[in-house]
Amino acid sequence: MEADDLALVTKAQAGDPAAFRALVVRYQRKVYAVALGIVKDSDLAWDVAQEAFVRVHGHLGAFEGKSSFSTWLFRIATHLSIDAVRRERVSQKEDVDEVRESDLTGGGEGILATTLGDDPAENLLRREMAEKIQDALQTLPEKHRTILVLREVEGLSYEELAERLGIHKGTVMSRLFHARKKMQAALRGYAERSARDDEESAP
Amino acid sequence: MKDCVRYAPMLGAREGELTEEEQHALDLHLQGCAGCRATAAELAALDGLVGESLMARANARDFAPFVDEVMARVGAPGLAPARGRRGFLGWFRTHPRAALASLVPFVAAVALVVYVRLERGGESGPMASLEIATEGEVTMVLQTSDGPVVLLDDGEHS
Amino acid sequence: MIRTLFAATLCTFLALVAALPTAAHAEVPVRVRVIKGSRQGPAKVDPRLEDLRRQLSPLAYVRWEQVSEHRMDLERGRTQFVELPDGDSAALTLQERHGDTVTFEVALTSRNTQSRLTVQKGQRIVHQVTGEKKGEALFLTVNAWP
Repeated sequence: MEADDLALVTKAQAGDPAAFRALVVRYQRKVYAVALGIVKDSDLAWDVAQEAFVRVHGHLGAFEGKSSFSTWLFRIATHLSIDAVRRERVSQKEDVDEVRESDLTGGGEGILATTLGDDPAENLLRREMAEKIQDALQTLPEKHRTILVLREVEGLSYEELAERLGIHKGTVMSRLFHARKKMQAALRGYAERSARDDEESAP
Repeated sequence: MKDCVRYAPMLGAREGELTEEEQHALDLHLQGCAGCRATAAELAALDGLVGESLMARANARDFAPFVDEVMARVGAPGLAPARGRRGFLGWFRTHPRAALASLVPFVAAVALVVYVRLERGGESGPMASLEIATEGEVTMVLQTSDGPVVLLDDGEHS
Repeated sequence: MIRTLFAATLCTFLALVAALPTAAHAEVPVRVRVIKGSRQGPAKVDPRLEDLRRQLSPLAYVRWEQVSEHRMDLERGRTQFVELPDGDSAALTLQERHGDTVTFEVALTSRNTQSRLTVQKGQRIVHQVTGEKKGEALFLTVNAWP
């Protein structure tokens, strides 16, 4: 049912604007989601996502189909997003990728894993959670946000992440681990604040 | 703990991402390490949340102008010609047989949208059961108990 | 007491975290039909469109026939295209799902039109997808979990 990307690209290369338009509609939200995860600001993400499509359009003639269209598009979007963050960044402490013993403590106490159950995540609570996750993501350094976003929105494998980010597979694994631990810690912070608020508001 | 440092980064791997040797060594380690088993379960609980949250944000945003802005920037704006809206009175003029029948559901639709917006503004309101938002050449939305009916501007198109 | 309260709150919070990813890859099966309405001719509704009669009857078109039918699984955020007889296509995206309630976006790329529509199980969307030509227009109907 889904029109083939390559067929649309071929038509777009031949100058068919409807085909390019269809490609934009197909990927616009996902490209925006990737950009939003990396640059944080929604207006900047909108601009970055549009710029990615404009760049792709400008280089359509050079696209030979060696990788998929979506891989090519998301690669451009990723690099534009990282560039945008780096232009805006004033200063940021560099985080090491290596995993140390201290990274393994203070994270879990098993609480996350004990409560897997049915799907109670509905409606308002679900929306609240999405906001909390967004807030938590924004506390992460750029390289941790980037790797998490590419893993989860684009669904890249370790190999693909290594290729996209120009790092070794081992670094991918340790960087992802750090990113996840930081997300976990940030969410725990919200949970603790939420618990304190509950206590204070209790009679 | 020294072993844990080596194995912890392997914990979020998907099937096939570790070499056979890595997977085997990790499995052996997990059998004897409750700490890493707990970490693995916690990381698994978080897996997918970031993607879910970002896609929810993207889906909640109105993307109607996005593609037009892109097409304008690449110099191909002419695909979706700007058209004057005739409004629903025009629709009534050209659909006289439907006019009377449509009036009641149309009023209901307006009321429903208002209700939904009000309800969503409240802190503890339930999720809207029916929501309608349209952009572009839509003239009218009829809300029936069987679901919405969306009608376009009925001008001639080549 | 305070520790118990804290632990209970944390558990509830993290239970939600734990449960969310299960919905991330949820697919919703949908039945999509392209139908044609005509002003001319004897009033007649294609028997395959009987379930749509109450939605179609208020419209000015009197003769209804089914042009094509497609079944697909929609994954959140991933757009599927439905080919229309005139060579154009309509883009259908699952935006949200909460239990029996789903929100779809219907986008007509060549007409600068996007609709975001929330329906419950058992309801159907009827969306006009082409302008009227010679007294005829095409519509798309979507129902989830057919």
